[in-house]
Amino acid sequence: MEAIIAVIRKFIFDNYIFTSDDSLLDNDDSFLEKGIIDSTGMLELIAFIGNEFHITIEDDELIPDNLDSVTKVTSFIQRKRTAAA
Amino acid sequence: MSISLYFSILTSVFWLLTSAFLLPVLSGHANMGIQNYLLDAAARYPDKKAIIEISKSCSYGELLAGAERIAAWLCEEDAVPGDRIGILIDDPAEYAMAYFGILMAGAAVVALNTQTSARTLRDTINDAEISILLTQAKFIKYIRGIDQSMPCLRLIAVSSTPQHSVPGLPVRCADLTDILHGRQSAGRKQRPPALDDPGALAQLIYTSGTTGKPRGVMLTHANLMANTRSIIEYHRLTGEERHMVVLSFFYSFGNSILLSHIAAGATMIVHQSMVYPKVVLDLMVRERATGLSGVPSTFAVLLSFALLQSYSFPCLRYIAQAGGPMSPRLAQQVKSAFPDAALYIMYGQTEASPRLSYLHPDDFHRKPGSIGKAIPGVTLLVCDSEGAPVKPGETGEIVACGDNIMAGYWKDPEATARVLRKEGLWTGDLARLDDEGYLYIVSRKSEIIKSGAHRIGPLEIEDIILEHAAVKAAAVFGIADDILGEAIAACIIIKSGTACTAREILLHCREHLPVFKVPKHVFFVESFPATANGKARKDELKKIILGLPETGSAAL
Repeated sequence: MEAIIAVIRKFIFDNYIFTSDDSLLDNDDSFLEKGIIDSTGMLELIAFIGNEFHITIEDDELIPDNLDSVTKVTSFIQRKRTAAA
Repeated sequence: MSISLYFSILTSVFWLLTSAFLLPVLSGHANMGIQNYLLDAAARYPDKKAIIEISKSCSYGELLAGAERIAAWLCEEDAVPGDRIGILIDDPAEYAMAYFGILMAGAAVVALNTQTSARTLRDTINDAEISILLTQAKFIKYIRGIDQSMPCLRLIAVSSTPQHSVPGLPVRCADLTDILHGRQSAGRKQRPPALDDPGALAQLIYTSGTTGKPRGVMLTHANLMANTRSIIEYHRLTGEERHMVVLSFFYSFGNSILLSHIAAGATMIVHQSMVYPKVVLDLMVRERATGLSGVPSTFAVLLSFALLQSYSFPCLRYIAQAGGPMSPRLAQQVKSAFPDAALYIMYGQTEASPRLSYLHPDDFHRKPGSIGKAIPGVTLLVCDSEGAPVKPGETGEIVACGDNIMAGYWKDPEATARVLRKEGLWTGDLARLDDEGYLYIVSRKSEIIKSGAHRIGPLEIEDIILEHAAVKAAAVFGIADDILGEAIAACIIIKSGTACTAREILLHCREHLPVFKVPKHVFFVESFPATANGKARKDELKKIILGLPETGSAAL
């Protein structure tokens, strides 16, 4: 779990925040509320998750409960991996 | 009589009957001022839902009560007619209450883009000379980050605050939540008498220009009422409408949706984000949406959502697109995805309150790529540089006339004189007319980048990039993007003896610019192809960099 969090945080910081100041994003912060990701960014995040973790994300899984924070993305990836195992 | 003719007559009779209820709107109101749209709608439909969101809603009666409380509070705080009051709010109902409350107090609205930066906010507050700002706690971070003085700003009202005082602000602070609940109005002061000057300033909307910082477009009550009348007429809006609103109200397009639907006493289903298309589509189904408006990227995102074809929208009457050119291919895909909805292709600009033309849905297949003809009350000419109309098929600049054309740019008579000339508003858009009078945009005269729902001036971004110590020169322009329409690209020449990464440039931009103005692509080059006077030739540069490997990229 910690490894997934680290990968997601690195992607978010590298592509949307551009600093390594860890305090700028809590794992439970809403990407939308914080204004970190817009619709294009979300498409990029989805593509990244799919490639990085070898999971297929269905259209009906593209909802805030699965994708709107580091914690939610991490839980979603874990669920997908468990289901695929 | 054919079935289609019969249906056509039936809808015309229905429209005539329903429009009788909209007579005050269509004819202009005796008591002038766009705040009357809300007063009229609340009087007719106090319990009807004005705004529906995923988990809450607001009736016309509630909307009016909130607006009146804000108006009363503003008057107690000595706001006077003509004052500019800022709104930095992304809650749809609070935004609408603030908007109409400000107008009821006789002041003018300055709706601020909530995707902002401390620097952008400071510049706009100072330029518009905003005296009072209505905002939400989550945006306080921008105000706290402002490092220079804002001499005109004297009061900030903040909603959703956990406590009554917000430390660290440069000016006095009030609790907007208390105001909206009537806990702060002692009613000591009478509101000013109803506005009777339709030429009074109603709103400043900031829009990007090619020559530097965004400019405030001055829209009067008469401007906005003229455009609202046209919109209601050509969309045949009635109180039965249930429109899906995905665009923020602070955009001129979103503003026109807000005004026309309040004026019609209609219902707006609001979710101002396309990040999760499923959320929008589920809401449209749940609330039986009759209309949907968007910019090209709205539809590009929807079409990228494979599940779209599994939805059906039996109530959806029409779809409207504006906010930049949509390719005929994308338009055809939208039409195929929503076969039973009439598709309106529209054109406008903030300086026109904002709408100027539309392609009638019946002409969609016959005139692909056209932006149609002028909306009611507007005249559009295609002129040569001397102001003479060009012949059909020839390219000229679109010049617009009508009561919807702005009063001018705020505190910028020179820029105003450049675009408002005796022929009308020179739009900067190059177009041609066909033999039947249909308009086709050929290109933009200006370098404005239209990315998503945003209109972005390259110079503002270049200026910021040039502030980086390692940068010698920068050229910013738009390059084609499947989703955004255009994405911002920055070409940079580094000073000799220095080093700099794309990430450093992006971080610098992110610190000083709203996120949507941060370049998506960064290219480092040794030199620019230049004109005789040394200006970068961006068309040539664009061709060169499209063949280069990118040195850095970021999502918007």
